[in-house]
Amino acid sequence: MPPNGSNSAAAVWAILRKECRSEWRTRYGLNAALLFAVATLTGVSFAVGRLPDRTDLLAALLWVVLLFAALASLAHAFVREVEGHTLTLLRLVASPTAIALGKLLFNLLFLAVLEVVTVPLFLVLMGGPPVRWGPFLLILGLGSLALASTTTLVGAVVSQTRGRGALFAAVSLPLLMVVLAAGVSGLRAQWDGNPVTTEARLLAAYAAVVLGASVLLYDHLWED
Amino acid sequence: MSAAAVVVDALAVEALGLEHLYTGRRGLPALSFALQAPGVVAVTGPNGSGKSTLLRLLAGLLQPTAGRSLVTLAGREVPPAERRAVLGFASPELAFYEELSCLENLAFAAEARGARDRAARASAALERVGLGARARDRVAALSSGMTQRLRLAFALLLRPPLLLLDEPGSHLDEEGRTLVERIVDEEARAGLVVIATNESREWGLAAQRIELRGRGLGHPA
Repeated sequence: MPPNGSNSAAAVWAILRKECRSEWRTRYGLNAALLFAVATLTGVSFAVGRLPDRTDLLAALLWVVLLFAALASLAHAFVREVEGHTLTLLRLVASPTAIALGKLLFNLLFLAVLEVVTVPLFLVLMGGPPVRWGPFLLILGLGSLALASTTTLVGAVVSQTRGRGALFAAVSLPLLMVVLAAGVSGLRAQWDGNPVTTEARLLAAYAAVVLGASVLLYDHLWED
Repeated sequence: MSAAAVVVDALAVEALGLEHLYTGRRGLPALSFALQAPGVVAVTGPNGSGKSTLLRLLAGLLQPTAGRSLVTLAGREVPPAERRAVLGFASPELAFYEELSCLENLAFAAEARGARDRAARASAALERVGLGARARDRVAALSSGMTQRLRLAFALLLRPPLLLLDEPGSHLDEEGRTLVERIVDEEARAGLVVIATNESREWGLAAQRIELRGRGLGHPA
């Protein structure tokens, strides 16, 4: 009964469902992420009020809130398995690539849920020029894909190291700078009425490179 | 005749100079053997002599430092990365998701392995190890003995032709140990069961024995 494409797809789907069920039962990441996002936006709103003409600050603030709200949970996708000693179970039912793809899909879903709550709240509290929804969602979607694929890859690689917390920050910081810079620039451009093609291409290419590297690397993870 | 019985004559496990070194210490000294289904094989030896390491190597969870292991099924070699499809594995290190129930844990494992009737298989495995009444309890609520039964259910879930059981009787009461004997007896009629143990009652179930004679306690390489 060798693995095949449909078995791999079944494994990815099973891992995604398991991650959702575990998150729903424990609220390990979502509550903390939403608390951070809502508290930060409320605090900044009280301090500076609405910022209708500061598209530079608006773009930076939205990405900073999303990044830091999600980072703790995204980084822990694999650490939870290591610390809960469930990685052996996972490895006995799915290939490393299927495990990582399941985790990546969950991280994307997690970001989407976070954004569904955070973005409307952000737009209401912070003001800002009218949103051009096409470019806005394009940059947000591609930025989320790049963010999730990067943190999933780094999380998988450092999960079994001793200093994984420090290592995750040190390795992911330079990798996430690209995502942050392109994401901020893209959101600012859509508010200013400028094209977002350059930023969208950069984010898409970056996500594609990280995903490609991930597919090559994942099957060699955990080879003791 | 069970599904596993169809492949009974076709399963073979072989080690060729199989050796594993952890950082700075020897996990398993170089070892060669050949096993054929059906039957039971016991792996014995002092603590740290490499019993668990051998089972992890055969399961494809560890890469050998030297040598290789071969699992062949119906004349086809099953590479280490694909062995999860043909084996059941239970060991004390195997942990489950505590926020999920016993049934959910096993159904997840069956679904990830591509089984269509995952709930039925999970229920059947739990019934077989006497955990049917606790199927909907979360794993966090189980005693150590019941967790061991869940490990056995996980190994039996898809009725694999190769069973690798590391200390299968640990934490079990008398009824549980009798259950292990019955399971080993039933599975060995169809496939190959490899038990790593120092319990005379468990290795007494085996017709063959691999005795690891290292100094134990993971002595320096």
